[in-house]
Amino acid sequence: MSRVLAYTGVLVILALVQVAWLARVQVWGAILDPLVPLIIGVGILKGAESGAVVGVAAGLLQDLLSGGGPLGVNGLSKLVVGFASGMFERSIYIENPLLPAIATFIGTLLGGVLLVIVALLVGLGVPPWPAVVARMILQAVLNSAIAPVLFRTIRVIETRFQREH
Amino acid sequence: MGELIAVRRRLVLFFGLFVFVVALLTTQARSPDRRQVGAIGTTVLAVLLPVQTGMARVADGVQRMWSLYTEIGRLRVENAKLREALDGMGRRNAALREQALAGERLERLLGFRGQVGSRSIAANVIGRDVAKWFGTVQVDRGSRDGVRRNAPVVTADGVVGRVIEVTPTAARVLLIADSRSAVGVVVQRVRDLGVVEGRNERVLHLKYLSRTSDVQPGDVVVTSGQGGVFPKGLAVGRITRVVREEGELLLEAEVEPAAALDRLEEVLILLPL
Repeated sequence: MSRVLAYTGVLVILALVQVAWLARVQVWGAILDPLVPLIIGVGILKGAESGAVVGVAAGLLQDLLSGGGPLGVNGLSKLVVGFASGMFERSIYIENPLLPAIATFIGTLLGGVLLVIVALLVGLGVPPWPAVVARMILQAVLNSAIAPVLFRTIRVIETRFQREH
Repeated sequence: MGELIAVRRRLVLFFGLFVFVVALLTTQARSPDRRQVGAIGTTVLAVLLPVQTGMARVADGVQRMWSLYTEIGRLRVENAKLREALDGMGRRNAALREQALAGERLERLLGFRGQVGSRSIAANVIGRDVAKWFGTVQVDRGSRDGVRRNAPVVTADGVVGRVIEVTPTAARVLLIADSRSAVGVVVQRVRDLGVVEGRNERVLHLKYLSRTSDVQPGDVVVTSGQGGVFPKGLAVGRITRVVREEGELLLEAEVEPAAALDRLEEVLILLPL
């Protein structure tokens, strides 16, 4: 139960930070989304089920806080990203910072593509493709840069709760 | 077997969540605003929105500070540029003012040149006798320009002195305030003759006036034309004090020079006809 609370806390903090602060700092239109490496990290370290649950929760929270769009756009894309990263459960050695970064890069691109598809399906306006692709790649680079830190955070949480039990 | 159950459980969970989110999206897409938060969403927002607002305010403050910081940097650069421009304009302004003043002086000199009967040439003062302020000055005209020894030197205000040395390109002028200088003069109002001598002072001394002369302070003294150097009628100065000593047969007076001998910049050298 306390592990759920810890993840919920991290999730809420990251979502708030992303919406209130990081959304203001755009790098050529791309915004850092720390929830993506978190979801991928949970998926890889804890499995597809945890990845899917954390992914859908993170996405819905983001939809709720960011306002404007319908609930579920981020929820659906992050659900798929979390579940898909769970397919590689424990097959990525997180001590090597490059592997979490690569996983996050690919996961961010997957999430971005899904987000565009969902947005098109629900009739939301999507910017021109070249701009979308450029933003996706930039966001993937940004997310990859912080991936090792978030993977380590998950590891710390997990280690602490394993000791307690 | 256990693995299979785990995979099935995983897939069930995934599809369950998938269907839930798709259903949520579908209901959202059908609503007029394409967004329905619902009771749970409203509760979550009620808790998190104040926190989000607080964080947004912090971000606003940081953003304002950053804008202020960058603005200060920009203003500093702009200020330096403006100061530089202002300094340049100040220098230019001073140069223009100097040119205007020189123009005015030259205009007066030119006007005076027309009044003088003889030929004349304008010259710039290029040096002063630093040991004796009222001694001599050097001008940038010489024998190549027709300047000869003893040529009278004047300004629009009055007599300056006479040339005592000539080189091809420059000449030295003995000022009337120099103790070696003596100019034959006439007091304009009473027509009494005298001689103005220099004593290396700011004032000149008018000598050899008759004791019966009615000279008064304020009387204008002009050249008499009898010394053979200066033409008749050039202003020499104005009497400031009359000295009547007991037992003396002659009068003396102090004369303030008409030309500003300590501020000479351009002069006119009178040439022989």
